[in-house]
Amino acid sequence: MAFPISRQKALREWKLYFLIVPSLLLVCTFSYFPAASAIYHSFFDWAGGETKQLIGLDNFKRAFGDDVLWGSFKTVSILIVFNLFKMIPSIMMAVMIHRVKSDRWQYFYRVMLVVPMIVPSLVTLFIWKFFFDPNMGVLNNILDFTGIKTLLVSLDQVFGWGLFFADAPIGWLSQPGLILPSLFIWGFPWIGAVGVLIYLAGLQSIGQEIYEAAELDGVGPFKKFIYIELPLILTQVRLSLVLLVIGTLQGYGLQLLLLGEAGGAGGKGMVPGLWMYNKAFVAGEFGYACAVGMILFVFILMLTYLNNKSVRVEK
Amino acid sequence: MSTAPKDFVGSHKQKDWPKHLIICAFILIELFPLYMMFQVSFKDNASFLRNPWLPTPPFSVVETRQAADGTEIAKTRVADWSEAFGSARPSDPSVKSVEKSFDLSVYKVKNWNFGLKLIGPYIANTVFVAVTGTFFTLTLAILGAYFFARYKMPLSGVLWSAFLVLMLMPGVANIVPLFSLLKELNLLNTLWALIIVGVAGGQVFNIFVLRNFIEDLPKDLFEAAEMDGASHLAQIRNVVIPMSGSIIGTLAILAFLGKWNDFLLSLIILRDKELFTLGVGLIYLDGEYVKQWGQMMAAYFIASIPLIVIFLFCMRLFVRGLSAGAVKG
Repeated sequence: MAFPISRQKALREWKLYFLIVPSLLLVCTFSYFPAASAIYHSFFDWAGGETKQLIGLDNFKRAFGDDVLWGSFKTVSILIVFNLFKMIPSIMMAVMIHRVKSDRWQYFYRVMLVVPMIVPSLVTLFIWKFFFDPNMGVLNNILDFTGIKTLLVSLDQVFGWGLFFADAPIGWLSQPGLILPSLFIWGFPWIGAVGVLIYLAGLQSIGQEIYEAAELDGVGPFKKFIYIELPLILTQVRLSLVLLVIGTLQGYGLQLLLLGEAGGAGGKGMVPGLWMYNKAFVAGEFGYACAVGMILFVFILMLTYLNNKSVRVEK
Repeated sequence: MSTAPKDFVGSHKQKDWPKHLIICAFILIELFPLYMMFQVSFKDNASFLRNPWLPTPPFSVVETRQAADGTEIAKTRVADWSEAFGSARPSDPSVKSVEKSFDLSVYKVKNWNFGLKLIGPYIANTVFVAVTGTFFTLTLAILGAYFFARYKMPLSGVLWSAFLVLMLMPGVANIVPLFSLLKELNLLNTLWALIIVGVAGGQVFNIFVLRNFIEDLPKDLFEAAEMDGASHLAQIRNVVIPMSGSIIGTLAILAFLGKWNDFLLSLIILRDKELFTLGVGLIYLDGEYVKQWGQMMAAYFIASIPLIVIFLFCMRLFVRGLSAGAVKG
C-alpha cells in the first residue's frame, strides 16, 4: 500500500499532483467528455454538424420499436453462446500442456502458441475471409477434398435447409443462413494464446503434493481435471469469461470487416455495435446512434454489476 | 539437477505421447494460416488454382498447341509436383508437345515488390503511431502510477476511483462523440489524433498494473533516494524504471500490439491515402474487385514483419511477463 502522509507533508509535496495531471487531463477529454456527450446527444436529432434539435426521448422510443436493433441483440446473444463454447479448447490445451512431463517441451509448446500472434489480427481476419471465399477459398477446397461436402449436401436434402448444393460452391459469407455458422467456424481451432498462457500460469500454482495424493487415490485423468485443475483456474476462467462476454457484446470489428456495414446478406450478422456504427457513419444519424450506444451501455453496465456481485458473494 | 526422480504432474501410469500428438495437431492447425499466407504469396491466381496446398515446384512447363488456323501457340504454366519428379504431361488432348524446364521465375517475387510498394508507406505510418503512442502511454502511466503508489495524497482515493470507473465503462458508446470532438479539435485526418486517443485509452489499464507493481517495490529504496535529496522525477528515473523493467517491457509490447492491430478508429478518422495506417490500408486492399491473392498475401506477410522482429527479440519477455502478470492480476 501507498504510504499514509500527514497533512503538512502533503502540502510540501504538492508538486506530486503534477504527475497525475497529464493522464487525468487526457482521460477527462477523451473518455469522460465523449461519454457525457453521448448521453447529452442521445436526446437530440443530430446529424453530426452544428444544427441539432432537442427531441426528448424520441430516439429511445424509436430504438425500442427498432426490429433491427432487437434482432441484433438476438444475434449477439447467439455469438456469446458460440464464444463460450470456444473457450473450451483453450482450457483443454492449457491442461494438456501442463500435464506434459518435460519442462522443455512445455516451454516449446508455449512458444509455438505465441507464434501465430505475430500475424496482425486484421490479417488473420482477412485470411479467414480468404478461407471462406466460395471459389478459391480453403474451406470449400477442404470440404470437397475430404468429401464432407457430399455429406452436407445429402444432409441438406434430408432436412431441407436449402443451403448446400452439389453443383454450386458453398457461399459461406453470402448466404443468409450460413452467416451464423461461418461466424462459429471462424477462428478454428479457437485457441487463444493469451488465454492459454493465463490458464497455464494458474495451473502452475498447483502443488505437487496434490497430484501425488490424487495418484495414490487412483484418480483418473478426467476426474483430476474436474476436482483439481478446474477449481484452481476458475478465477482465470471467470475473468476471461467476463471479458469475453463484454467484448462480444460491444465488439463489431469482426462483423464490419467480414460482412460489411449492413451485417452481411439479410443482415444476419448485425450486432448492436455495428448498428450504431452504421447509423452514425453510414446513415449520418448521430443522435440516434448515441441512443443505441446508450442502450448497449446499459446492458454492459448491468452485466458488469451482476458479475461484480457474484464475485463478491463467492469471496 | 538432482538425482531424485523428476517431478511431474501427469499420471505415472499414463503415456505422454498421446498428449504430444494432440497438442502438435492443434498447433499445426494454428500455424496453417501462416503457412498458407507464406506459400500463396509466391503464386499468381493461375498457379494457386492449379495447386492450392503445396508450394510451387521450381519448374515451368511450356505447352504448345495447334490453334484452329494451324498456327502453333506456346503457353507457359507452372509444373505440378508429380511433373516435377517425373516427366511433364499435357494438360488436355489438344496439346501437341510439352517441355519442362527448371525455372525460378515461377516464384512471383513481383508480389512482394507490389506488396511492399503498396503497404510500405502504411507500415511507416503505423510504426510512427505505435511507437510514439506506446512511448507516451507508458511515460504518462508511470508518472500517474507513481503518484498513486508513493503516498496516499489527499484526493488520491477519489482520483483512483475516477480511473477505475473507466475500466468498467464500455468504449463502444464513445466513438460517435469522439468523432465529433476530434472534428472540433481539428484533429480529423491526422495521425496525432490516433496517438492521443490511444494514449488516453491506455492510461487506465497501464496505471492500474503499474501502481500495484510500484507499491510492491521495497520502500527503503525510495527512502534512501529521498535522503540523498532525489526529487520525485529522479526517484522515478533511478528507482522505479530500473526496478520494473520486465513489467514495463510487457506492457509496452501489449500496448504496441494493441496499436498495431487497431483499425476501427483509423477507419473513421483517416481520409487521405498518404496517412493510412496498416489497418485502413489493408481494408482498402481487400475492397479491390479482382483479387490477386498472391499480392494480397505478400502484403499481409509484409504487414507481419515488424511483429516478427519484435517477437524474435522479446519472446522470452513476453511469455514470462504474460504468465507472471496473470498470476498477480
